[in-house]
Amino acid sequence: MSAVEIHDPTLRDGQHAVRHQLGVAALRGYAEAADAAGIPVVEVGHGNGLGASSLQVGRAAVSDDLMLSTVREALRHSRMGVFMLPGWGTSDDLRKAIAHGADVIRIGVHCTETSLAERHLGFLREAGADAHCVLMMSHMASPHELAEQAALVVGYGARAVGIMDSAGHFLPEDVTERIGAIAGAVDVPVIFHGHNNLGMAVANSVAAARAGAGILDGCARGFGAGAGNTQLEVLVPVLERSGFETGIELYGLLDAAEFAERELMPAPPVTGSLSIVSGLAGVFSGFKPQVLAESRRAGVDPRDVFFELGRRQAIAGQEDLIVDVVAELSTAKAIA
Amino acid sequence: MTVTEDTTTTVEPVTVAVIGTGAIGQDLVSKVHRSPVLECALVAGRNRESEGLRHAARLGYPTTSGGIDAILAAPRPFDVVFDATNAMSHAEHWRLLRPLPGTLLIDLTPSRVGQFVVPTVTGTHAPTERNVSLISCGGQASIPVTHALANRFAVQYIEVVSTVASSIAGRATRLNLDEYVATTQHAIAEFSGVRDTKAILNISPAVPPATFRTAIHAIIPDATTDAVRAVVADAARRVRAFARGYEVIACTVTGDQVVVSLEVAADSDVLPRYAGNLDIINSAAILVAEQHAARLGSAAARTGAVR
Repeated sequence: MSAVEIHDPTLRDGQHAVRHQLGVAALRGYAEAADAAGIPVVEVGHGNGLGASSLQVGRAAVSDDLMLSTVREALRHSRMGVFMLPGWGTSDDLRKAIAHGADVIRIGVHCTETSLAERHLGFLREAGADAHCVLMMSHMASPHELAEQAALVVGYGARAVGIMDSAGHFLPEDVTERIGAIAGAVDVPVIFHGHNNLGMAVANSVAAARAGAGILDGCARGFGAGAGNTQLEVLVPVLERSGFETGIELYGLLDAAEFAERELMPAPPVTGSLSIVSGLAGVFSGFKPQVLAESRRAGVDPRDVFFELGRRQAIAGQEDLIVDVVAELSTAKAIA
Repeated sequence: MTVTEDTTTTVEPVTVAVIGTGAIGQDLVSKVHRSPVLECALVAGRNRESEGLRHAARLGYPTTSGGIDAILAAPRPFDVVFDATNAMSHAEHWRLLRPLPGTLLIDLTPSRVGQFVVPTVTGTHAPTERNVSLISCGGQASIPVTHALANRFAVQYIEVVSTVASSIAGRATRLNLDEYVATTQHAIAEFSGVRDTKAILNISPAVPPATFRTAIHAIIPDATTDAVRAVVADAARRVRAFARGYEVIACTVTGDQVVVSLEVAADSDVLPRYAGNLDIINSAAILVAEQHAARLGSAAARTGAVR
């Protein structure tokens, strides 16, 4: 059996589903449960990572400092992960995260813009941190481009590199091709992070493992924006049956998922109509709450808003475009 | 303003040098070329083959690949030096240029070393210090509005999210994101008096490239839509006096949350229309240089001195 390392961003990416409102008790409780299950890495933070609490995407209920110290205290065996988007967080945030005991630090960049990570990956290399780089919205680049960008970030200092299917747009063959291209271009572990907009997240993750990915992301109950992420407690046993070892204890994993469903979310994510549309349109799933709110206010069809955002090639972080698109569609409707 | 009525004296044009040959440096050279009162005396880069040096040479200006050393070696100090390099280099450039008498250094990098200037906010007088910071593109786009809002309302929080087209974001911009964030936040706070501020920068690879945009989110408890729109429209009108492509795209008030979306299109001989981020900061820089030129010109006229 070959081994795959599971990276669990429930307490970071899941925040998108609850407008970044996870409290201290929820953070502590889930981190303890994940630690007990033997999940190797538990990632925590605002949904867009360190320093990203904002009106643009939502202000967090708990400060970065308190989130990190809470989860650090709760983890005995698991390593603590954090996430940072250059232009949102800064090296100061990285420095603070290291001081809080973050073990794995992921820098996220749009899939064609990896040079934005050069400075921060260099900083992390100097600091001796385990730096990862993830290429977001990876359906917007070809396998060849992704492989080139992955090789660049390894040169900058990343010790693992991979892709996020931020819009939940991929089918398994798309993943096989892309992970294969990246694995052929770098000699560090390759990461895959799936979203479930088209119901493909687990299948895509297994395809990634078969194509050579060494690190897979999954969230309890799929906790995440829109249709959610790869459902962790499904992914792990499916991987084991497919011949990939995770080292995670099944009952502990199922208990952690029970805790998450009860304490972290009003209801587990479902593949709702709007999530299907955002997957088809290739728009970041995290836009959903704001698209819904703005569309309701202006009386426009949120599905039209997603397709128009896709046409404008909106990338993660560009939530401010939603207001413009809604205003434009609402004016067009008034004229027609 | 360099022309005096005293025909017995000859007033030389104000000499400027540009260091840095990326898109921002090239546009500066073209804007100096357009200016009736500024004379481009040297364009300094580090690579003889760079497009920026070739562009300057095509316009007939002296060029050098000697970088800052060539600026320092000039027989007479330049009246104005534009620094279009990067935030890390700027502090060193200032250390080297500071001893030169009479040189005004205008910083286009987000280094936060010099005196902050935002033309519609800090006024049209010449700067009082010899190192002037243009803050950042997001700062130049947002501060006229955030300053006006803070003057009129009790603003509790300001956040500025700018999106720049990838094709116009050069290596220095990409390496200076931390400085961009820190300097922009600091300047927004300084000019609005609001302590809680945040700056975010997105780089968009959309094709065709999207026009530079800045969204301002503010928390203002007592704002009404009409009052906010009036304040924003007035601030934008004043910016358009020197940056013609500056436009308010949307302005909404929901409860205590105000969102103002701005776009800036470039009005430039060398920049694509979408590169309003470079156009607005360079237009502001040229305005500062021209004000400095006017002051030098009137000083020369008063004393009858030949500069």
